[in-house]
Order: sequence, then C-alpha cells, then structure tokens
Amino acid sequence: MSTRTPLCQGGPPQTPLTRRAWFETMTGGLCGAALSSLLRADFGGSARAGEPGGEIAPHASLSPRQPHFPARAKAVIQLFMNGGPSQVDLFDPKPMLDRRHGEAYFKNIAGEVENISSAGAIMRSPFRFSQHGKSGLWVSELLPHIARQADDLAVVRSMYTTNITHEPALYIIHTGQMRTGFPCLGSWVVYGIGSENQNLPAYVVLDDPAGLPVNGVENWTAGFLPPVYQGVRFRSRGAPILNLHPEIAGGPIASPLARDFLSRLNQQHLGARPHQPQLEARIASYELAARMQLAADEALDPSRESARTLDAYGIGREPTDSYGRRCLTARRLVERGVRFVQIFINGQIWDHHTGIKSGLISACQRTDQPIAALLEDLKQRGLLDTTLVMWGGEFGRLPIAQLSPDKSDENAGRDHNKNAFTVWLAGAGIRAGTVYGATDELGFAAVENRVSVPDWHATLLHLLGINHEELFINHSGLKERLTGVTTPRVVREILT
Amino acid sequence: MIESGSKPMSHESRFSAWCRTSVQWVRCLAAWWLNGCRLWDKACRLTLGFNVLQPNLLTRTFFYRSMGVLVVSTLMIASTEGAGAVPTTAEDTPLSQHDVLPILLLHCSPCHGGPRQEAKLDVRSVRGLLQGGQTGPALIPGQPAASRMIQRIRDGACPPNTRLVEANVKLVDASSLAKLTAWIAAGAPVVPDEPDLAGTTEDPLVTDADREFWSFRPPVPHPPPTVRNPTLTANPIDAFILRQLEEKGLSFSPEASSQTLLRRISYDLTGLPPSAEEIAAFTADSRPDAYSRWVDRLLASPRYGERWGRVWLDVAGYSDAEGKREQHLPRAFAYRYRDYVIQAFNSDKPYDRFLQEQIAGDELADYENAPSLTHELYDNLVATGFLRMPPDPTWANITGFVPDRWDVIADAMEVLGSGVMGLTMRCAQCHSHKFDPLPHRDYFRLVDIFKGALDEYHWLKPDLRPYGGAANLGPLGERSLPLALPEERQAWEIQNKAIQEASEAARVEEVRLTARYRTEQLASVPEILRNQILDALTLQPTNRTPEQVELLKQHATRVSPDRDALKKFDGGFKAQCDALARLESSKRPEPRIAALWDRGDPSPTYIYRRGDYQRPGPRVQAGVPAVLSKPGYRLNITPPWPGAKKTGRRLALARWLTEPGHPLTSRIMVNRVWRNHMGQGIVKTVGNFGRTGAPPSHPELLDWLAVEFERQGWSIKNLHRLILTSRTYRQSSRVDSQALQMDPDNTYLSRMPLRRLEGEALWDACVAVADCLDERRYGPPIPVQTRKDGLVTPGRSGTVWRRSIYGDQLRKEIPTILEVFDLPPMNPNCLVRNESTVAPQALHMLNDSVVRELSNHFARRLQRELRGDPQRQIEGAFLLAFSRPPTGTESAMAMATLRELANPGGDANTPDAALTALCHALINSAEFLYVD
Repeated sequence: MSTRTPLCQGGPPQTPLTRRAWFETMTGGLCGAALSSLLRADFGGSARAGEPGGEIAPHASLSPRQPHFPARAKAVIQLFMNGGPSQVDLFDPKPMLDRRHGEAYFKNIAGEVENISSAGAIMRSPFRFSQHGKSGLWVSELLPHIARQADDLAVVRSMYTTNITHEPALYIIHTGQMRTGFPCLGSWVVYGIGSENQNLPAYVVLDDPAGLPVNGVENWTAGFLPPVYQGVRFRSRGAPILNLHPEIAGGPIASPLARDFLSRLNQQHLGARPHQPQLEARIASYELAARMQLAADEALDPSRESARTLDAYGIGREPTDSYGRRCLTARRLVERGVRFVQIFINGQIWDHHTGIKSGLISACQRTDQPIAALLEDLKQRGLLDTTLVMWGGEFGRLPIAQLSPDKSDENAGRDHNKNAFTVWLAGAGIRAGTVYGATDELGFAAVENRVSVPDWHATLLHLLGINHEELFINHSGLKERLTGVTTPRVVREILT
Repeated sequence: MIESGSKPMSHESRFSAWCRTSVQWVRCLAAWWLNGCRLWDKACRLTLGFNVLQPNLLTRTFFYRSMGVLVVSTLMIASTEGAGAVPTTAEDTPLSQHDVLPILLLHCSPCHGGPRQEAKLDVRSVRGLLQGGQTGPALIPGQPAASRMIQRIRDGACPPNTRLVEANVKLVDASSLAKLTAWIAAGAPVVPDEPDLAGTTEDPLVTDADREFWSFRPPVPHPPPTVRNPTLTANPIDAFILRQLEEKGLSFSPEASSQTLLRRISYDLTGLPPSAEEIAAFTADSRPDAYSRWVDRLLASPRYGERWGRVWLDVAGYSDAEGKREQHLPRAFAYRYRDYVIQAFNSDKPYDRFLQEQIAGDELADYENAPSLTHELYDNLVATGFLRMPPDPTWANITGFVPDRWDVIADAMEVLGSGVMGLTMRCAQCHSHKFDPLPHRDYFRLVDIFKGALDEYHWLKPDLRPYGGAANLGPLGERSLPLALPEERQAWEIQNKAIQEASEAARVEEVRLTARYRTEQLASVPEILRNQILDALTLQPTNRTPEQVELLKQHATRVSPDRDALKKFDGGFKAQCDALARLESSKRPEPRIAALWDRGDPSPTYIYRRGDYQRPGPRVQAGVPAVLSKPGYRLNITPPWPGAKKTGRRLALARWLTEPGHPLTSRIMVNRVWRNHMGQGIVKTVGNFGRTGAPPSHPELLDWLAVEFERQGWSIKNLHRLILTSRTYRQSSRVDSQALQMDPDNTYLSRMPLRRLEGEALWDACVAVADCLDERRYGPPIPVQTRKDGLVTPGRSGTVWRRSIYGDQLRKEIPTILEVFDLPPMNPNCLVRNESTVAPQALHMLNDSVVRELSNHFARRLQRELRGDPQRQIEGAFLLAFSRPPTGTESAMAMATLRELANPGGDANTPDAALTALCHALINSAEFLYVD
C-alpha cells in the first residue's frame, strides 16, 4: 500500500460507526477544520459522555492539546516568499562580489546552475547595505522598514536545501519531502497541538487574490494526515471562503420557506433512519456552515481597525495594499487564537532570473512596510511574545549573473541556488538581534553552522513545544514524521 | 584496499554474504528482543517510538513494528560499507565491474550508451569500454593515468559542464572517480556475469514459514457452510455471511423495498439515478425474476463502464496532466486509456486478459510488423497507459534527472503493487519490508522486469506539448507511437483535407474580394493617381520602384485590405471566415497512441541501498517476490515472438500474475468489487493484504469468491451478478438496536450500509435530474473552467454537461464540487475514496451558482414535461430526485411551500422561481445524497 495516497488509503482506523466516531471524522475539505471545531464546540461534550466502544484517533480533532514541553510560541505567522529571494542582495552582504565583479566563475559551479546558456560572471549586488539597530544587523537598502525592526530579528544566513527547481524545492520547504502528497508544516503543527480557537480554522492560508503561488493548493495540503488539518484558504477580499455566501443575492435558498422545507425533509429522512449518525452530522454541517460565516466575516473585517493601523500596514495605497491586508488579517487571526497563518504572494515575485534590479525593488516595496507594521503591531499588543513570525523562501540565488537576452548588466538577474539562502525569525522564543551561520565569501554556499530544512522544521516545532521525533503518524506501515528519516538538530543558538 | 592477485569475489556470493550477515544479525537481535531487551530498555523505547501524543499500546502491530525497526536497522548496518564493528564484506572484496558500471551508467551512458553512442562508445559494458570508440579504448587495464575515460573525467571534458542539464547528468564526484581509478589500476577485473535468479537452495530472506501467511497461499474453494435458516440464502455468498450472523445471534435485515433496490442498483452499476420511465417499468414488472433481469439490463448499459471504469481509473491514478510541475503539461492521448478502461468494463473483458494488456500489451502480439493496426493491437497498446499515469516532471530538463525518473518508476511500482497485488511494495524500495517478507532484493527484481520500458538511464521523456488545447500542435513526443486505427487516421485526414480546402477557398475568395474592394475604393481617387497605383500593382513587389512602394504604402487601406476589412466589406466572406475558424478550432493533433513499450535494451539493475541511486549495491535480475512463488521458481522469460526486439519480461510477469491459483490477483479484485458494492471490503485495507493489513472478516467467502471469479473466466460482470443477486446485498439499510449492539460497525453485514454518493455520482445526478446530461461518450477530455478566485467547475457546452469521467482530470484544478466530495489527488493513485461530511459541501450545494442553475433547469423540465399541474410537478420532482413518489404528507408540505413561495408577498414571485427553490431544496436534501 502506498505511503503517498493519504486521502484514500491511510484514513483513520476503522471504528464503529457511532455518533461520536462520526463527529470525530466528519472533517476535511476546504474548510473542514472550521467545521470540525464548531462541531466539537456544539456536540463534543455530550457525545463524549457514556458512548460505548470505539477507539477514537486522538488526533482527529482540533481541540488544544498539551505539547511535549512548555511552548514558547502559541501561534505562527509564516511570511512565505515564493520564488527564492536573493540572499546576497537582502540580508547577506558580500563585499567580495564587488571586488570580483565581472570575473568568470561558472566553471567552478557548473553542476549547480540551472540555466547554463545564460550564466554570466560574478555579479555584485546593485544595492547598498548598512547596519541597523543596536545589533548592527546588515540590511539592504531595499528593506528600510524591516531594517527598523532589526533588533527583533534572528537572521539565519546558512540555510540550504536539496533541489534547485521551484516545485520540488517548495515540496521540501513545506513538507520536508521532495515529493507530492506529504503533509505541510502547518498541518503537522495543528495535528500535534490543535488550536486555541474552536470557532475558526486552526490553519489559515492567506493567498494572494492576484493568483496562487507555484504548486497551488499543494502548498497547504494535509497529505496523509486527516483532511481536517489541511490549510483553509481565506481570501482577504470578498467572500473569504469559496461559496461562503450565495453568489446571487436573494436567490432561492435565502428563502426561509425553502430552508424550512429542506429542514423538514431532512428531519423526516433522519427520523425514518435511526442509528445513522452521518445523517445527523450532515444536518449539523448545514447549520454550522451558516455560523461559520459570522466568525470568519468578523475576523476578516478590516473596517474594525483604526485609520492609523490601516495606514501603518500600507492599506489603501499601492503597492502595499494587498500584502498589507493579509498581514493585518494574520494579526487579527492570531489574536483570535488561530494557530498557524501562512501568507503567500501570487506567482513568484522573488524569482529574479533577469532584471533583479527592478524586480527586487518591486517585490520589496510590496512587502517591506506591511511586514514591519505587522511586527510592530504584534509587539504593541503584546502578541509578539507568543507569536513566531518567520520569513523566507524555498531557496536562494547564485552569486553569478544570469544574463538576459540583451546581455546587459542592467537587465541581469540571478539563477536559483540550493546551497545557500537566508531566512529570519522573530517573536516568541527567538533570540532577537542575532545573525546565525555564514556563507562563503561569495555567498554561494552555506559553510558555517549550516541549517538544513529539517533543522529549521525541528526548530519551529521546538518553539511550539513539540519534539519533532515524537510527532508522527502511522501511515501504511510507516512512522511518518515532518522530519522524515533525517536526524535534524534544533538550532538552539537562535533561541532564548 | 585492493589486494592485487586475490581472486575477485563474484557479486552473487557477495550478495548472499550480505544477506547472510543480515540474517545472522536479525536472529541475534530477535533473540535479544524476545528476552526483553532488558539492558537497553530506555534506548529501545526511544527507537520504538513511544510518545506522549499518541500513547500506543503493546499490540501485535507494535510487536511487528519494533521487530521491524530492529530488522531494518540491522540490515542497514549490515549493508553499510565499512560500518565499524559490524562484519561486512563490501570493503574487503576486490572491486569488480559491478562497482564501476553503475557510475558509468549514471554519468556517462546518457551520451555513450543506448541509442546515442557519441564517439561510437558504449560504456554500459566492460567489453564496450575495452573496445572503445573513435579515439581508441576507453580504458587500459592497470593504467588508469593512461586511460582515456579517466583523463576525460579528470580534465572536466566529460561530462561536459555546459551540457549537464540537457543530458540530465551530474559531474563525477571525487569518490566515484577514485573508484574508477582503483578498478582500472587493479587491472579492471571482471567477475563472471551469472544470472541472479532464485536458486533451488533455501532463500535466506524468505522462508517457507513466510509463505504460510494466509494471503500468500492460493485461495481454497471452501464449500458454503450450512446455516440454520437456509431459506434466507439466495446464493452461496449468503451462506458464508449468514453463518457468521447466526453465530452472533443475528440474521439478515428484511429485504429492501423494490424502489430502494432499483435506486441502489442503478447508482451502484451506472452511477446515475433511474429515470422516471425506468422506475415505472420496474414497478410494473411483476415477473419473479424481475430484479435479476434489471441487474442484467443495467450491466448491459454503456453507463456501467462509466461508473466502474472510474473505479479502475482510481487504481491506475488516471490523469490527463503530467503533474509535479506548475504547468499542466497535458497528456494529449491519455484519454484513449480512459476510454479503453470504460470499454473493457462494458465488454466484460476477462480480468486476466485486462491485466495482461495493461502490464504487457506491447508484448502480447507483434504490432511492429503488423500490416495494419487491428482493434486488438490498438487495445493492447493503449492499455499499457496503465503504468504511464504517475505524476511525472521529467519532461523538463531540470526535473528530468535520474532521481526524478526513479521517483516515477517507484510510483509505477506502487500502482502495480497496491492496486494489483495488494502489497505495500513501496516499503521495500529503501530496505527490506519491515512487516512482510518482501526483501529489498525482490523489489529490485520487480524493477528489473520493467527495465525494458522504464529505464532510468535510458529514459523517454513525456510528450512535450504546449498547453492550449487540441489545436495547439506541439512536437511529436517520445512516449507515443505513430500508430492509429485506420478509420481514425482516415477521419483525421479527411478533416484535415476539409480544413485545407476551406482555407484555400477562403484564400481564393480573399483575392477576388480584394480586387472588388480596390475598384470601389479607388473610384474616388483622381484618375492619374489611380492609374499610377494600378500600374504599381501590376508589377511583382520586387520589381517596384521605391516611389511605387511608397505610393502603395500611402494607400494601403485602399489597395491592401486585411481580412478584417474584407469581412466588413462583404458579409458572405465574414460567414465563410467564421466557418473556417470553427473548422480550424476542431483540428486535432495527428493521432498517436500513448503507450509503454519494451525497447529490448535494458540497463542492468543494481539494488539501490536505502533507495538511493547514488548507493548502488549488488546486481539483481528480473524476478517475482519469492514469498509468492515456490522456492526455486524461475520466471519463464522468453522473447514474445521470434525475432522480437523485446525482453518479454513484463509478459512473463503478466502471465505469472494471472496464473490459476495466484494467491493475490483474484482476491484483490473480488475484494475491490465487493467493497464498492458493500461499503467495506472483506479485507478492509484493500491495498494491503500483508501482515499490517486488516485480516479478512470472512476469509472463506473471500476465497470462495476468488476461486469462483477465476472459474467463471475472470468475468467481472458475473461477479457483480453474483453479489447483487445475493440476499446479503438485498437487505434493508435500517439499523435495529440488536444489530447495533452485536454488530456495531457492520463487520458481519447484518444490514446494507447507508452510503453517500461519490462526488461524480452526485454531480452526474444533479445534471441528470435537470435533464442536462449529454451522453456522448469517449474522446478528448472536456476542459474544466477555472474562475479567478479558484472555483473550478466542470466544463459545459451551453446548458449540457458530459459525465464527470469525461472532464479533464488535472492535478491542480479539480472541479470544486468533486474536490469537496472527496475526489482524491492522484499521488500516485487511490484505492479507497474518503467519505467526509464537511461544511464546504453544504456551502457549495447551497450557494454555488451552477448548482442553482441546475435547480432551475430541473424546475423547467418539470414545467415542460408536466405542464401546468403543480401537484404532478411535485410528484415528478420527488420521483426524479429520490426514485420514489412523495408521501401524502410530503406532497402536502411541498404544495404548501410552493404556494407560499409563489405568493406575491412570498420570497419567489414567479412560479418558475418557486419551483426552482423547491428543486434546489430537494437536491440539497439528505435523501438525494444518500443511498439506502
């Protein structure tokens, strides 16, 4: 049997079809998480009392669970920078690139270059770096707002991954595996420790209305974990969930009469079929679907924020409006006890094969201010102490140029690089104002205190009070973990 | 490291030494474990995975698991070269060709091996190396420094670093180069290439005791047991079921009503509800065998294959796109496989033949020298699409390296293992299976069977076709054969000719119209100028003076109208152009067959330690799992026909799988069919018949069905007939309290389970009751429609929809309604659909605009067919939605609702809107979604 056909083969153990079993398992799909939590809120207590038999998988719910050890972080906001931001142009300054600018270097790294025909010489960063805050963190001029939060960050310059192509690298960074069908980080987290708020999904994905990232919905799949742990997409504009509201205002079902008719039909159907818990569960799902609208609408309504807050996030003006809204929404969700929030940007705005000069400016302008505002806002509300914020992409970029067809310096970019990239973390449990690890003098490969993706995963789980070795699911005869068969280490040096 | 002069150890003896070592260690550790592992309790617990999140009990599974951990870790230690105190033979053994050939396969064979032998060098054998290429031998034994291959690698000339990605190779690393050098320095020793086939001696890895596990023994034709109440048995199935029920003090539930049964068998066999006419006919049929006649009738319906073909497409992991990359690289001809499966079910192709075609259709009959492609040959080739379904990124250079290919092969092995053999084969990809007697070696023997077609060192890339519909004709690919049925090719040629002719006619008309247009346009121009223009036009463009060119340019709109201008100028021409555009949009790519075929030149197979292609181990050769065959069994591999350039390995496998009395093949299939009728399998884990799978609830019934299936010529329709006419199947789904107490999870089948429709059945039913079903069959997939906010709807044509199975099966854009109702992602396949109950289903059914549109079509249909009589419309609505008329209460309730809705002050102010609301409620009701 498969280790990779989770949704079909690896489901929860066969349990007697009791009412309780049904409530435990009737989860999944687009926003199953929310439903499950509401269900439990409604029926959990009574269903638990005096039900006979039936071994229930302890993880088929989203109720909060004790972690392995006291958690530093209660919630996570992942600012995912799809495309592979250039480390040497943002957080990892390399004076040697200036010195050796124009020098041929391709031969030394030929096996690590994707686009061989357009590979150019060593290229200096077109941007200036300066030091910021008490910690003296080097930050590129492209990120003036984040630079002001320098003393909140722990920057890891020595990340590396194992594939130089977006799709597999995304699978790796999100699931730890280079293949499709494995659960994502957020799914593992809510599988492990549930969620504080039972009226909203535990794992929310805020994707860009302008389009999905590469790999689309695979970036938040629950893989072979029960579908309840899948990320739930909330749109930051319009209806937050697909079909949350009727598309035609005042359409037929809005009619209380028709609704009443449906309700009586279902009640009669149920009455004639005793001991069929799935029918009750289905009726409940219709009632609860309606109530979910209220909770989601409230959480997602930015009009409840002050004009000053909106302005700080850059909402209401370009190019920050869209990303700012998602950052603000993330704060509102975390404030309400959502466990894991992931923010995506459309396509791959950090994938600067060519035109890195203009492209990087644009990507930074869209995100810099909202991110800084998010950090500041969380801090002011005392949420940063319990919220882990993390920034990073799926890989980094090469120190040599990738030439555009016109071969000009102006339009040059950088190709993918799996051997080094930079991420940063801030908030709960993080030793703020730290720089950890180092790349070689050109920024091509992490050489000092290298941090693998599994190391990074283990560290995140650690902050949430989870021992990565003890978070697993038995699937198809295998004990599957986020960190797989690797033996990662928690990067304690960046923790308080 | 290398003692010169010592006799090289054969790789076989190394291999068995490797195995023996493992076995000794395993026995030692097992003894230790059974003694309680007292000295190392804490460490043991750590290894075995106790944890606070999932407090595990010391169950049988746990025992196997922990044993497995020990066995596997031991095997790993034993197989790791130079692992400290662990006795190992690997480093002590002199190098042989088997240490270097994997390196050459990986780094050199893409350019110097197989069909592409640059510099006329073939590195895939020592003979090829010694023979060398244009510049002489690749190596000189004993003289690495003077050997051309070492020089080329050392100088960085090979592999050329500007072509690494294009050729999908990596640079040779230092340790590999050192190994090559050492081997040549040692005189390039070669060990005799003995075949690795199961021998007559005892296999150290698989014992006779292992073969005793129930699912590894052939099924036995148990006689049906006696029961206390034989009048309740309609056929032998019932005896097996009733016997167990009676032992529990239970019996069958009462028989379901005929209306319930009709609805049940209609959905079960065709995936659609019965029509009003069918209900009337069935109700009127008072013959005693009316029910079984109806079963036959539904089995004969072409809709049957559309329902049951889908079950098999799940097994295969059918997809119309390659996947694993962002782009939906379409599989231009995958739909032929889908159609083949539907037709195979409809024609009741015997299951043994069905498997043989899918596993080895290319080796069943000679298609290469056939004068024309017969339907049989066509089916044989199309069927091999079965193992071409896994997600596959290798069409792109950057995701086309050996590990990427290896993933694709592993997926294909998994489809075969889980779907056909019911084994968790994937576990043995990296190490010997932890729980089942499937050695790592046996996995690679299976891989070797497929090497002629799936060779990671000699890879055919997926057909690269730009996305954008059928008319977007990309280059012809490597994975399809330029073959087509004569009638299809002819139709294609005729259509192409029609397009060409229409295009030519338009061109002629364009010339004619242009002349007329000029005349009219130039009428208002002064005569001198007009003559100058006309003079210029009479000349060939190359003969015009610069002044003339300039002149024509100035008056371009008058003298050289474009097609759009001409369309405005002449209405007839516009119609002609539009017709041409329609014709051109229906243009199809040249018909080809996507297939998997043996190319007769497989690379050797080396075990990949831990599944890692960079850690090749001993060489193995084609063979089937030892536990499923007698000791000393040899797969009978011969070329499929004289002179065939094919290995015949897959054919041998297919024949072995379908041999009478194969322990798994028939059991797996009858269990699958059973599960899809009865809601759960006799073995609940339909893809795992191994030790970690669920034991069968009715082992004797499973065997009886398996034997009967084979006896009746592997006829799947007969199997359906047998199950559907049993008393077991005809039970009511009511749950009484005694049954609930004694048989809470219905293991003993004291009732039929209440079942939710699968996504496809739900959607098809919505379309069918709305009378919007387009029942055209087969052909290229219907594109889905993706809204900007991510909502995906099944493709439509005006107000009709084809059945779901004909929609484009993509990996990232699954129609939302199917997705929320548990259509699985194919990674790589799916053996059991989920049956979830979640809020998005409610939200979709209530709020989705297409569902509401269908409710409106449903209402209009009622108005059309049952003109002007609300009472009859209500009856019709219930009949179509629930396959039964409304009760008096329901009818009154619906009538009152309808009336109130249609009141001027009501919520819906037209009769149409009121009836639509009612229909929408019916589609949203539990009774519509569940089958009793």
